[in-house]
Amino acid sequence: MRQRTLWPALLVAALTLTGCGSATRPETSSSTGATGGASGAAQGKLVVWDWKSGDKAAAPYIEKAKADFAKQHPGVTVEFVAQPFEQYYTLLGAAIQAGKGPDVILFNGGGQIRDRVDALLPLDEYVSGDRERLAGWDAFSKDGKTYAAPVTLQGHPIYYNRSLYQKAGLDPTKPATTWDKLVGDCAAIKKSTGAACFAVGNKEGFAIQFFMSGLGSGILTPQEYDDWIAGKRDWSSAGVKRIFQLWKDTGESGLNNKGANSTAMFNDAFAVFQSGKAAHVIGLMSDVGHWKDFAEFLPGDQLGVMKAPVVQPGTTPSLAYDGGIGYGVAKWTKDPKLAADLVRSLSSTEALTAFYSSAGAIASDTTIDVSQAGPAVTTIVSDLKGGKPALHVALSSKTLELMGRLSQKLLDGSVSVDEAVRQLAASDKTG
Amino acid sequence: MPTRSSSPPARPAAPERAGRAGARWRPPHAGTGTAAGRPSRAARSERLAPFVLVAPAVLILVFLRLYPLVLGVNFSFTGDGDRNGSPVGLDNYVYLFQDPLFRDALGNVGLLVLLLPVAVAIPGLLATFIYLRVPGHRLFRSVYFFPAVLSPVIVGAIFNLLLAYDGPANAVLGAFGLGPVDWLGDPAVAMITVVGVHVWATFGMALVVFLAGFATLNSSLLDAARVDGATLPQTIWHVIIPGLSRTIQFVFVTTMIGMLTSMFGLLYVMTSGGPGGATYLPEFYIWIQQGKMNRPALASAASTVLFLVMLVVGLAQIGLLRRSGRED
Repeated sequence: MRQRTLWPALLVAALTLTGCGSATRPETSSSTGATGGASGAAQGKLVVWDWKSGDKAAAPYIEKAKADFAKQHPGVTVEFVAQPFEQYYTLLGAAIQAGKGPDVILFNGGGQIRDRVDALLPLDEYVSGDRERLAGWDAFSKDGKTYAAPVTLQGHPIYYNRSLYQKAGLDPTKPATTWDKLVGDCAAIKKSTGAACFAVGNKEGFAIQFFMSGLGSGILTPQEYDDWIAGKRDWSSAGVKRIFQLWKDTGESGLNNKGANSTAMFNDAFAVFQSGKAAHVIGLMSDVGHWKDFAEFLPGDQLGVMKAPVVQPGTTPSLAYDGGIGYGVAKWTKDPKLAADLVRSLSSTEALTAFYSSAGAIASDTTIDVSQAGPAVTTIVSDLKGGKPALHVALSSKTLELMGRLSQKLLDGSVSVDEAVRQLAASDKTG
Repeated sequence: MPTRSSSPPARPAAPERAGRAGARWRPPHAGTGTAAGRPSRAARSERLAPFVLVAPAVLILVFLRLYPLVLGVNFSFTGDGDRNGSPVGLDNYVYLFQDPLFRDALGNVGLLVLLLPVAVAIPGLLATFIYLRVPGHRLFRSVYFFPAVLSPVIVGAIFNLLLAYDGPANAVLGAFGLGPVDWLGDPAVAMITVVGVHVWATFGMALVVFLAGFATLNSSLLDAARVDGATLPQTIWHVIIPGLSRTIQFVFVTTMIGMLTSMFGLLYVMTSGGPGGATYLPEFYIWIQQGKMNRPALASAASTVLFLVMLVVGLAQIGLLRRSGRED
């Protein structure tokens, strides 16, 4: 028996002391792995990596962008390589380590691109002409430099069911502007239609993120809001505590659909909203859970979008959104001007209009005519000007994961608001 | 009791068997010894044959099982993120045991160990009934096995619908005037629910193992018990359980391993570890750290802990069952 334990013990001790080797090798600059689609701008070819071009809904967009680029540079071929999204950043990481790969790269805004700006070319001198026309630049910028041009926008509008408002005798063109009024409207809707106030699916812990970003501008003062985005987050402030208190109260006072903690947001909560079992939902602008998704059951004229209701007097509600996806240029491309021109073609009004109408994304181009799509889209686009970055996007994935778990505990009453905020502050500090 | 007679002969049998095996093994050695002067080729190849024959299995085990295991353990002593690849000693393990979420996950493992006898007793009892030929036992045999062919994702999706807050399970409860239960959203209930679904989905396999065990049971013992006038509980306790102790041992260990390593699909589909981390298990924690938090070294530390837990639990179970088998 002693022998049996001795060897493993020795092995563990040896491994602990050395701790050598690792599955993910430390970064080296002299790596030589060929990763599909080597840069070849000089030969009149540009390679683009993304996860969208294989998508049927995005095909008209890619075609329009290619045509626009071909007009300016007839001799240059453009090759789109669609990578699977689950592996996209892993593959890209390998290309970056190798120092060669695609010339033009699609990125998610926020952390994904900011972590990789060392491999990218600042685009400020090339895209200055698009500054005014496009929105969502912040998500693709770091330290005052821009690394990609936004294609779509992602954010958290509050959608409401206009026909439920009508049934309850409320004016669907005038949704509540304060929290108290909203609670009153919800009581009226509940009484006449039986529908809950909010469709909430917090099984994955995502609903708190939508709640925080959708309602945050009505809770935090503009100063607090800007500080939060800038990284100066005071978790023990009254405003931040109010967000979590309101989340807890919303659950306890029965404003949510029943069983929120066991309802999946994608797509059970949206189904609850679509089927008229809840009057409001904090949704998305692009990809899924948005106006085009709802359109099957709630056509344009039955779907409304409201600004965040004022919870705390003295706040100015705004739409929470960030740049969704955008194209950047790799540092190693041979002709930066050429690659930047392709980025500009990929964010041209014509191409983005095609993206908006076929995929239903809210494009970054604020000049696109959306009047045909109904009041919800018109409201979203008109709110873009005064919009601000979403609160939860500023948090690390570790803090978001903790926030998801704590939000479930807040709903079932097993943690207090003070304790939740204390844990989140500690997690936010360590990153 | 008639069962007593089954174990005593087993003990003297062991040395006797060893002696016989030794006796049979000696001739080739003796043969080569006497023929040392002219070593025959046949004798040498005969001596090497066993090594050649076991080599593929041993190599596969060493290179595809043991070597990766050692690599994984080694990797768990390195850092993540900024400290990628550099040795950090026991930091990952210290972090793990300070993380309340991982402690919760281990606590849930404890709960699984407590629920284990139930998970083994259900297929055991049902197999007993089938063996004793209750009416319709042929039908039950196939029906019980049916869920075992479904993938956990499908099972999870089915039970998600059944156990939804406004789903059929609560509708049935409502018909009896009982309040709705948030099966998957109540932290006190969720873990039990998921384990229950897991047992439902997998007990068919254990049932088949039990039925195979019954095939080896000496039916004359059962007849003797019947003649002696033993009741059904007495028959189960004094005849069937001792007779099946090896089978039960096997089912215990495989069920435990199944609970610890293959509930991921169900957890992922049914609760995503929630609410509030109430249904976290180590393997779910490992996946979150590796896949979502990008902390592979911490994840391999957690994997190592899970491996050790399973080793300890498995050995303890075998030890306990062996001792109880002997006492009988």
